[in-house]
Amino acid sequence: MNSGQEKIAGDLPLVAVVDDDESVRESLPDLLREFGFATRSFSSGEEFLGSDSLVQTGCLILDVAMPGMTGFDLQRELKLRGRNIPIIFISAQKDEVFRRRAFQQGAVEFLFKPFSDTALLQALNTALRVR
Amino acid sequence: MNFANGELGRLRHARRRSNMEVSLEHPAQEIKRLQRCINDLVSLLALPAMWSGSKPGDIVHTLLDSLVRLLDLDFVYVSLTSLVDEAPSETVRVPQSLEQMFRPRELCTFLNRWLGDDPQKPYLQERSHIGGEEVSLVSSPLGVQREIGVIVAGSRRANFPRDTEALLLSIAANQALTGLQEARLVSEQKRVADELDQRVAERTAELAAANGLLREEAAERRRAEEALAESERNLRLIVDSIPGLVALLTPTGEVELVNPQLVEYCGRTLEELRLWGTNDTLHAEDLPRVVELFSRSITSGNPHDFETRLRRFDGEYRWFHVRGAPVRDANGRILCWCSLLTDIDERKRTENALKRSEAFLVEGQRLSRVGSFSWHVESGEITWSDELYRIFEFDRDVRVTLELIGSRVHPEDIPLLNDMIDRARGTSSDFEYEHRLLMPNHSVKYLHLVGHGRRDRHGRLVYIGAAQDVTEHRLSEETLGKVRSELAHMARVTSLGALTASIAHEVNQPLSGIVTNASTCLRMLTLDPPNIDGARETARRTIRDGNRASDVITRLRALFSRKETIAERVDLNDATREVIALSMSELHRNRIILRCELADAAPLVTGDRVQLQQVILNLLRNGSDAMNSVHDRPKELLIRTEREEGDRALLSVKDAGIGFDLQSMDKLFQAFYTTKSDGMGIGLSVSRSIIEQHDGRLWATLNDGPGATVSFSIPCATNT
Repeated sequence: MNSGQEKIAGDLPLVAVVDDDESVRESLPDLLREFGFATRSFSSGEEFLGSDSLVQTGCLILDVAMPGMTGFDLQRELKLRGRNIPIIFISAQKDEVFRRRAFQQGAVEFLFKPFSDTALLQALNTALRVR
Repeated sequence: MNFANGELGRLRHARRRSNMEVSLEHPAQEIKRLQRCINDLVSLLALPAMWSGSKPGDIVHTLLDSLVRLLDLDFVYVSLTSLVDEAPSETVRVPQSLEQMFRPRELCTFLNRWLGDDPQKPYLQERSHIGGEEVSLVSSPLGVQREIGVIVAGSRRANFPRDTEALLLSIAANQALTGLQEARLVSEQKRVADELDQRVAERTAELAAANGLLREEAAERRRAEEALAESERNLRLIVDSIPGLVALLTPTGEVELVNPQLVEYCGRTLEELRLWGTNDTLHAEDLPRVVELFSRSITSGNPHDFETRLRRFDGEYRWFHVRGAPVRDANGRILCWCSLLTDIDERKRTENALKRSEAFLVEGQRLSRVGSFSWHVESGEITWSDELYRIFEFDRDVRVTLELIGSRVHPEDIPLLNDMIDRARGTSSDFEYEHRLLMPNHSVKYLHLVGHGRRDRHGRLVYIGAAQDVTEHRLSEETLGKVRSELAHMARVTSLGALTASIAHEVNQPLSGIVTNASTCLRMLTLDPPNIDGARETARRTIRDGNRASDVITRLRALFSRKETIAERVDLNDATREVIALSMSELHRNRIILRCELADAAPLVTGDRVQLQQVILNLLRNGSDAMNSVHDRPKELLIRTEREEGDRALLSVKDAGIGFDLQSMDKLFQAFYTTKSDGMGIGLSVSRSIIEQHDGRLWATLNDGPGATVSFSIPCATNT
């Protein structure tokens, strides 16, 4: 499976995770790697925007509520910069208003924490197909 | 002289005849006859003395008697002419023995004819036949031409008359003439004198009568004048002492007389006052109006009545009421005008102030929609201000009664009204109520009533109060209340949501990690060969996230943990009164009749004042809420404090609501149990826990009548 994993990694785009919660930043990249994606995680939107991964990122898993730049702020900023990266929002707050707003702004998926691995994989497939 | 000559002639004639007779008779007889003649002459000469003062009739009679006797005649006749006021008369004298022979009437007729109308025949003497007898007749005139009359003497003797007889007859005639003339003169004098006397008497009587009339008239006039003077004096006295200013005017309206008060007030002379129409005696603003009214009155003769400002001596104008009326005589002619001026300045000022203040009051009441009323409980007399009529939409002339008021009160609030009336009748305490009116157009008005009771002089109960139409206020309050409760609900929901969200966020983060790690762990273990190290790592992180989640719960629990209660001395009565004051408006809004029976001795307890007040408030709201659906009876709430045995204070709230099912009694205090569809139901359970913290207990019982009573009892404060 390792060879297969590498192979997928080689083909599949980079999935970036932006979340201020450390446990997410620790657990989610492991799962993504299990799925075969290359991944990098950032604790804030600003950090992501300032990194060299911005260009390689094929999909963004983005927390809504963060101190400083929120998930929505980052989404708008990317649009302004012409970076049309598919975004999967994740949120610990089960807020339909946020969810609707996210879809209106072009989000691929909106997952309430805690979400299952299959829900995430499905969202990733949608996101990457869109791309 | 003529008279003397005539006399003398007659005498001479007579003497001639006598001389002839003397020569024929005997001297001795002749002497005797002459002596007799002289005696007769003396008697005749004595006659005038006898006749003095006699009437002609008497003179004639005496003369005739004397002639018959002296000359021995058969008859003698005298005719008197009409003189002065006596009628002509004929008198004849015949001796009684000869009356058959010479009837007087026939004699008169004969002699009258015999004498004829010729007064120039003074001395007739002839023989004539009368009644068959031959008689000698001799006449002798009275006066030269019988002016007075004539005498005729007759005798059957052939020698008649002898010369002496003729002389005697002539003298007698002469004497008679004198006597008669004198008598006539006297008579005339007497007549004239009598007439004069009579005239004088008549005139005197007339004068006396006239005099009497005059005297009476004079007296009458004097009396009238006195009465008039007296009446004028009285009038003047009245006019001068009347407490007002008086002016008397001529029929044309000229000032004729004023009383001293008027002169003194104006500080002006009568002359100046006469010019009131052109000087500043009256206020310039009033003058045109007054002149018009006054002229109209004087012209028409109708009384005048107006108010005007009159200048006082010091220049200040004061208001006067002027009333003037005409004084008329019996024929309705105007004699003068009497005008009375009364100082009404004070009254006018008060009146104006009153008008102003009333206008203010009316306007104020209209603006604030406040009406005022008074209610004499005993007589049932109710007085309303105009605004109250407007609020109730009754005509101003309708008589206000409790029944009339009741006809407007909302049927659901009638118990409230009856309660108010009962209580107001019982005591003279003040009252404050809020109830609704149901208007004929089915609109609803809200009325806030405040009444103040007092006893009048006779000890009768009178309420004075105000009623305000608070409909707009109430409607806006209701709208506001609705908005507020919606807001509160929103806030509650929002805060609960926020809390839940916050809790969820706090818990979901570690849960999310746990789920993700567990998923990864599973995937690693299902690999062939399984990634044991990876799985171990993710399992370790799962445990760590589980602990983090547990930490979050601990932190939340700490956040909601109970605080220590503050212990202070609390007067349960005061605390209750504060709560009532706070919730009064809400109770009014729900049309709750709240009765309050607080213990005389203030029950002092130890505890947290705010927490205890929350409990009291809770009980009141609970009771009030329990009566929400009650419409068939008064919504009565009774709050009572009392001291219990064992040094405890008891507070109870009794409602007339729907009560509760005995079987659900225990559930009543469970956190989420409620008999209400729209409540949280946590009130009683929280209240119970607060009371238990105060070492007390809280319980509920069903009333004998409708509703339930919730009570709590806590120990009183120790005296230390």
